[in-house]
Amino acid sequence: MKIKALKFLRYATILVFVLAVIRQITGASDLTSVGTASAALLLSVPIVLAGLGGLFSERSGVVNIGLEGMMVMGAWAGGMIGYKHGPWLGLLAAIIFGAVGALVHAIATITFGVDHVVSGVAINIIAMGLVRYLSTILYKSGAWKGPSQSPDVDSIGTNSLPVLSGGDYFGWKSPDLLNSLAEKHWFFISDLASILRGITGDLSYVTVLAIAMVPLSLFVLWKTAFGLRLRSAGEAPIAAESLGVNVYAMKYAGVLISGGLAGLGGGFLAIVAANHYQENQIAGRGYIGLAALLFGNYRPGGILMGAGLFGFADALQLRDSASVHALILLIVVVLAVLIIRDIRKGKIVKAALTFAFAGLSLWYFMAVKELPGQLVTMTPYIATLLIMSLASQRLRMPAADGIPYRRGGLR
Amino acid sequence: MSVAVELRHISKRFPGVIANKDVSMSVETGTVHALVGENGAGKSTVMKILYGMQRPDSGEILVNGTTVHFKNPNDAIEASIGMVHQHFMLADNFTVLENVILGSEPQHGITIDFAAARTKVVEMAAQYGLEIDPDVLVEELGVGQRQRVEILKVLYRGARILIFDEPTAVLVPQEVDDLFNALKGLRAQGMAIIFISHKLDEVLRVADDVTVVRAGSTVAEVKSKDVTARQLAELMVGSELPQPSTHGDTRRPEITLALKDVSISTKSGSRDLISHVTFNLHAGEVVGIAGVEGNGQAELVEAIMGLRDYTGEIEFSGANINDLSVAHRRDLGIGLIPEDRQRQAMMMESPLWENRILGHQRGKPVMNGFVLDMKTIMTDTKSIMEEFDVRAPGPQTLAAALSGGNQQKFIVGREMSKAPSLLVASHPTRGVDVGAQGAIWEELRRAREKGMAIVLISADLEELIGMSDRLLVMLRGVITAELDPAKTTPDQLGSAMTGAA
Repeated sequence: MKIKALKFLRYATILVFVLAVIRQITGASDLTSVGTASAALLLSVPIVLAGLGGLFSERSGVVNIGLEGMMVMGAWAGGMIGYKHGPWLGLLAAIIFGAVGALVHAIATITFGVDHVVSGVAINIIAMGLVRYLSTILYKSGAWKGPSQSPDVDSIGTNSLPVLSGGDYFGWKSPDLLNSLAEKHWFFISDLASILRGITGDLSYVTVLAIAMVPLSLFVLWKTAFGLRLRSAGEAPIAAESLGVNVYAMKYAGVLISGGLAGLGGGFLAIVAANHYQENQIAGRGYIGLAALLFGNYRPGGILMGAGLFGFADALQLRDSASVHALILLIVVVLAVLIIRDIRKGKIVKAALTFAFAGLSLWYFMAVKELPGQLVTMTPYIATLLIMSLASQRLRMPAADGIPYRRGGLR
Repeated sequence: MSVAVELRHISKRFPGVIANKDVSMSVETGTVHALVGENGAGKSTVMKILYGMQRPDSGEILVNGTTVHFKNPNDAIEASIGMVHQHFMLADNFTVLENVILGSEPQHGITIDFAAARTKVVEMAAQYGLEIDPDVLVEELGVGQRQRVEILKVLYRGARILIFDEPTAVLVPQEVDDLFNALKGLRAQGMAIIFISHKLDEVLRVADDVTVVRAGSTVAEVKSKDVTARQLAELMVGSELPQPSTHGDTRRPEITLALKDVSISTKSGSRDLISHVTFNLHAGEVVGIAGVEGNGQAELVEAIMGLRDYTGEIEFSGANINDLSVAHRRDLGIGLIPEDRQRQAMMMESPLWENRILGHQRGKPVMNGFVLDMKTIMTDTKSIMEEFDVRAPGPQTLAAALSGGNQQKFIVGREMSKAPSLLVASHPTRGVDVGAQGAIWEELRRAREKGMAIVLISADLEELIGMSDRLLVMLRGVITAELDPAKTTPDQLGSAMTGAA
């Protein structure tokens, strides 16, 4: 465990160094700015939550395409309850609404054996229609801007790491060491400082809570009896049943936790990322959460990385299109690393293919000075797609994932 | 020595069948007690009753002298009974340790106490001679080691009475030796072991006592040192059972199938899978192919059916069929009963009428021009079911819902329905109950009298000797001997098959 953490720190440092070099070459200062790092974190959180939601569900053996719909329900409840009863109750309502969506999915797939994908897609469609319908009923003029948008929700407080990132503690104004370092514009050191400042400063409490869910999920799923039993329901339900594990209960628990996390992700979008619910606010983040789950090979740490990658690309395109141009160079570097790895493993064809991609990207980087606007908007999706397809590893999904289970139904 | 488990007059009936009529046995602590019987004799049902998976209609179970009534396996586990399943119940992506402790994890606060669990499992493994690395993933283990994990699972839950359901079925000889050493270790620790098998030589090697069941009843309880394998076999089979036999010579002058120098080489270019196989088969004749499994019989079948490339010549009714596809060969009148009915002969999740179409999808009676002739298919399926005594509600029944014997009868009926002039029958009665076995033999007998040529492949030596007009022995892909079944005993055939004679 400790070795893994050290390894992770080493890779992260190398990555920051590469970013610093690219910033130096291209002059795209937003690559490593405080603002980008903090926006990247904010944009990652809903995806992390959706991914973790997928993790609990799929580890218990239920494919959850319905994450998107559960996030929609969470976002709606967050906005509606949040503007009336305050943001914290709004978040609670988001969790509950997400779990209600999950309950429908659980009843359909576990109790009635409906195909998991069919049920998930149905939930996505129903959720969108349902919240629009409810909004229309509840709509009143006044604070409302329209039936597709809730009134504003009070914001939840933020805070920072004391000493390092500033902030107020009972009237004491903490120094902001990282920020002052970042403003020195020393190569690499300032880059590292501003990224750290970005992800530790002015944090919403909910962000901290959401990121804490990553180690918590790891702990619950791999260190507790409940987690072992939940995973056994996704790996070998018949064996689990023969050892007295209540497979149905485990699957219900997995799907309900999944819905709660997805709902929280939706609530986060409505209450923290924005300050109201709006239609189409989720915009496919449930699906991207699933992609992060696959990218992370059904492990919490991997989900965090996948979500971080997407969040970073998304933040860049929102803040500065020049940085997106520099991002292409980063992709080239990542691809180069993959090529070396593939050649070492003797996968020559794959290395050649990656090389072609890298060459093409490098040529594009040189040839074009500024990216067309449409392409900039697509950046996070393209970056995610590229890295996912080329970094493809040995994907190991739970063995009984997506297979309807019947008690006593021996193979 | 005390009696660990006693079964008294256990009976169990299922709708339409009596699985157990009167089974009694008593197992002493510190012994290995074998329960032997043919497939379908009721061994599994007795053990399911003892393990709480089913409840007896009448009779009594005593564990350590007290009467027990199990509602489910958990009750049996409570009473320190454990079952090592024939089909492993393991999660491949879990470590050995996780598999063993699942469901009864040692707790340390809210976490699993992995350290304590590991110590306990390692100690247990050493104590019983079941050494294994607790932190390796099960998917990386071989079959023998997986079985160790299953045994450890049972021991971990404190079982003192262990049921092994055909444990050697999936093992290679070396692993069988390891398992038997482990069983001896467990016996020395005072465990009572019930060993279910129909492999009599193994039973005599490892068991102290043997209970023989036949047709749902206990017919004998003997000490293994007092009996021979032959005596046990006689007890198991009994005289009331159908015997494989044919009457008279129905051979006709015309040659139905002729193989000349048929060979199949391997891709690697090493020894041929089958090499220069040459024989003629007359109409109305049964030729039995004897051999230890994996000596080229399966490849021979594939060559005759056209499923595999070969060199040499195959003639059917005087015409060379080398260039014909499988479909063509079937259309000419070659039928096949494949060796693995569930994988090669049926769609398990489809109704019987769809299964009836398989292999007959190119013409009457199934097709009417370009469309399926549903009416005829249905009546035809029904008539196959009647004629061949397939016990199922109707043509809409899923194949998976049928017992092995009924599935096999349906397959035989389907192949026979077209009255092929050549039938390749690969293990036609493997794994079917005694009644179905007799019925299938009767069908083959009748077809032979009508002039069908049959290539019979079987691991059942009595079946081969009884049903064949001629026996060919295959060893490492080569026909090494031709024997007259009337003058051959199973022992002689067995040694010919292993190349000893």
